[in-house]
Amino acid sequence: MRRTSLSRRTFLRGAGALLALPTLEAMLDGKGEALASGEPLPRRLVVFFFGNGVVLDRYLPSGTGPGWVPGEALQPLLPLKDYVSVVSGYDLKTPDLRAHHNGACGILSGYPFISLPAGSANFSSRFGGPSIDQVAAGRIGGATPYRSLQLGISKRAGPWEGPTLQYASHAGSDAPLPPTVDPVKLFTQLFSGFNAGSTTDPRAALRASVLDAVREDAVRLRARLGSADRVRLDAHLAQVSELRAQLLALPPVVTSACAPPAAVTTRNVDAGGKEPLTAVSRAMFQLLTLAFACDLTRVASIQFTGPVGDQVFSELGQVDNQHELTHDPARQGDVHDTVVFTFSRFAELLAQLRGAVEGTGNLLDQSAVLCTTDVSEGLYHSCTDYPLVVAGRAGGALTYPGVHLRGNGQNTSDVLLAVLRAVGVDVPSVGGGAGLSSTPCPGLLA
Amino acid sequence: MLRAGPMQTLPRTVLAVLPLLLGGGCQGLIGELPPVAQQAPDRRPEDPAAPLLPVESLPAFSPAPLRARQLLRWQYEESVRVLLGDAAAAAVVLPADVPLNGFAAVGASQLAPTPVAVRAWELSAHAAAEAAFAGGLPPGLVPCSPAAADDAACLGAFARSFGRRAFRRPVTDEEVSTWTAVGRAAAQAYGRFDRGVQFVVAGMLQSPAFLYLAEVGEPDGDAGRLRLTRYELAARLSYFLAGIPPPEGLMAAAEAGALDTADGLRAEARRLLALPSAARARAAFFDEWLELGRLDGLSKDPGTYPLYSPALASAMRQETQAFLGDLVARGADFRDFLDAPDTFVNADLARLYGIADVPASGFQKRTYPASTLRGGVLGHAALMAGLAHPRLTSPTRRGRFVRERLLCQPVGAAPPGVNAGMFSAASEAGHVTLRERLAVHLEEPSCAGCHVLMDGIGLGLENYDAVGAFRPDDEGLPIDAVSTLDSLGTFAGSRQLGTLLRNHPRTLDCLVRNLFRVAVGRVETDGEARPLRAALDRFAASGHRLDEVLVELAASDAFRFATKEETP
Repeated sequence: MRRTSLSRRTFLRGAGALLALPTLEAMLDGKGEALASGEPLPRRLVVFFFGNGVVLDRYLPSGTGPGWVPGEALQPLLPLKDYVSVVSGYDLKTPDLRAHHNGACGILSGYPFISLPAGSANFSSRFGGPSIDQVAAGRIGGATPYRSLQLGISKRAGPWEGPTLQYASHAGSDAPLPPTVDPVKLFTQLFSGFNAGSTTDPRAALRASVLDAVREDAVRLRARLGSADRVRLDAHLAQVSELRAQLLALPPVVTSACAPPAAVTTRNVDAGGKEPLTAVSRAMFQLLTLAFACDLTRVASIQFTGPVGDQVFSELGQVDNQHELTHDPARQGDVHDTVVFTFSRFAELLAQLRGAVEGTGNLLDQSAVLCTTDVSEGLYHSCTDYPLVVAGRAGGALTYPGVHLRGNGQNTSDVLLAVLRAVGVDVPSVGGGAGLSSTPCPGLLA
Repeated sequence: MLRAGPMQTLPRTVLAVLPLLLGGGCQGLIGELPPVAQQAPDRRPEDPAAPLLPVESLPAFSPAPLRARQLLRWQYEESVRVLLGDAAAAAVVLPADVPLNGFAAVGASQLAPTPVAVRAWELSAHAAAEAAFAGGLPPGLVPCSPAAADDAACLGAFARSFGRRAFRRPVTDEEVSTWTAVGRAAAQAYGRFDRGVQFVVAGMLQSPAFLYLAEVGEPDGDAGRLRLTRYELAARLSYFLAGIPPPEGLMAAAEAGALDTADGLRAEARRLLALPSAARARAAFFDEWLELGRLDGLSKDPGTYPLYSPALASAMRQETQAFLGDLVARGADFRDFLDAPDTFVNADLARLYGIADVPASGFQKRTYPASTLRGGVLGHAALMAGLAHPRLTSPTRRGRFVRERLLCQPVGAAPPGVNAGMFSAASEAGHVTLRERLAVHLEEPSCAGCHVLMDGIGLGLENYDAVGAFRPDDEGLPIDAVSTLDSLGTFAGSRQLGTLLRNHPRTLDCLVRNLFRVAVGRVETDGEARPLRAALDRFAASGHRLDEVLVELAASDAFRFATKEETP
């Protein structure tokens, strides 16, 4: 049970006077390329995940190295091509025991999924280990009020086969992290602090003292529980600590990039049964960019659509469930359209990050953004020649301009490890079992 | 890539060999053969529809380990309602629970609480407390008159009385001291006693002592066997049947030893089942068991189904709840859920079903037109629409539902590397009807093991389109809805299927298991087969009244006893 320590923004409001904390800008050195303390600018990690794969022959780039030419599906990334690398020809090495489950868990964590003993009950699976965003959150998330954020765009990821197919982020094998899918809710959570009440309002301090009492109750309960339940209660306590620190954190300090946003009004509510994927994406990307600029968090996952899922790309005029389309050879053109749509939204995320100034560069310069999916091609449930896009410069750690790396059956976890290393997560390996990698994909790192 | 072979119609012979497929030789294709109550240790491969063995032939009861379990969303809401009233309950906004193995209660005993839940508990606890006391402190809530705004003794007395209800046991002095301090700080900050009470309540509603049903048990004589303590058993009973902390009468009865016997548990269970919260508990079970959550955000093609709307989906869900609630309220034979010829419809649903006598307002009981072969929940639009695609039906999905949720026969995974498109490839090759297209599943041995279990059932429901309306043909193509269920016979339409399922030995066994999973928050073990079978027998003896099986599960050894945590 450890408390979250916050390096800059946290302040115990109940303790007395308001301390003015240094802003990122104030902390920059003369060149704007690092903090005056000599520390480099923070790096950020985003995992962007979508369901049901791509149509490979309309996705794969041609040419390799920096001169690569995007396939049709990656055309939306053309304006950002220098920031984008594509890795192809890599295979998921975790055992392909169940379609979608293996891909979702294997590509997001590097671990094989775990089937739950079900007897005569429904099949469910859970992750075999933490997803890489949570590996990063454990290493680089502690400096900010939110160790990580989980965002969701489509609401159609179903609970029917357990958390592996429902959620992209997992703190561990028994700790799925559901996303926030409503921009208004995320806005309120992250930015209502800009309009914090007067410091004489005792509410925040009282809420914090309530959480202290909750902790005391939890410690007493913990002593009575078995070891497996203690692990769960410890996870609960860690969240209580993080919540407490967030309650007491100062409002974000306004800078040129971290300005109070206009109130967000986009709700993730269907109109006539249709999901507003584009509007919600844009609102979410804006909030995430601001959260990075204000240094509220450095790690995020975005589940655009769910593996299997029941999403319908209504904005494309489609009426069929995307997952069902992937299984129809005659409808692969429609599947491709959903992939283009997805990469169009992904491109908007990258553009948003690139548009946010930080130091002499922008947030995309300081980020690594991994974009991937739960099968290579839905039609075959394949796990070879896996779609992997890595964007951003990660403070110079990722190769720039971006390249196409054409592999020959290497481990997809090599890419995960490279992305983690790029954002300063110096772990010796990632994943486990057949998915384990201790060799970062060589061509990605600068 | 697997190629579609020559076309055949659905071979009845494949259905005939089903017992062999289920019995063995097919592991990994259909998943492990589920352990079912009728299986003796030396069993041979048998028909999935084989009669249950008598209870005496089952292994002796061996209890299962305890796990702490978080309150489910609906349980949190109902708890706040009975503790603080409707306004407070309305202020609670929690995220969806995370299910495992088909039930949120199972997830709640295995998974760590999610950050969104911890955040929502905190916000909801404060919102509920604020809403509860918006008009001042309700009379009788605080057992003393405060001498001052921050009267510690009175706040402590309140923490003790409210904590006893919320924590479902006497509160320790340490806990009283913790919460009195919180209350005093708030009372002093605002200069108001009621604010002190408010923050004590807001705190207790997010305390793990409230949020977790944490059972430890006590030694029960036998080596290693534990029995739940009286307080733990009262809470388990009350949360199973009503989703609330034990009412004061149950607390007193538990303290007096009323729950020490099976008959005592039965009496208290019946009392709980009469509470309004018990209807919510049953509805929560129905909703999850029948996967009615599929109706949230269910997409249908407006071109094909112009009458479909989210409001209609909501009405479908209400129909199923009203229908099942009526069976319980009338004390009817619950097996009627499978083949009752009537249901509850509003005007839109009456039109969907072709019922001429359209209700003028609200939901009314109506009988289906006989020509639509409709009866039981499998004829409900809630299921037929929920288990279909936006435009097309899905016999596979419907059949899988019957196997998994009604027969407790989970279906395995598609084989790795299979061409998932071969179903539709068949349509290109000139196979026209859905039945003919699905036959491709059965020609490919790696697919047949599972699809034979699913497709046959679903094909018998092909007269119900993707929103659940009756259709005599599929866009001009004939529908041959005559199908076979295991060795039990042929059927066409939901009512005949329901009648076959009514006589399928697994159906009620599966219902009992599903109820037990919700009751204790885990999947049953082989060692619990005997008490579950005993509950099933008593269910039958009661004339299959649902409340009686709830009572019997609550009184069963599997509900009362446990063993120490397994060490991995």
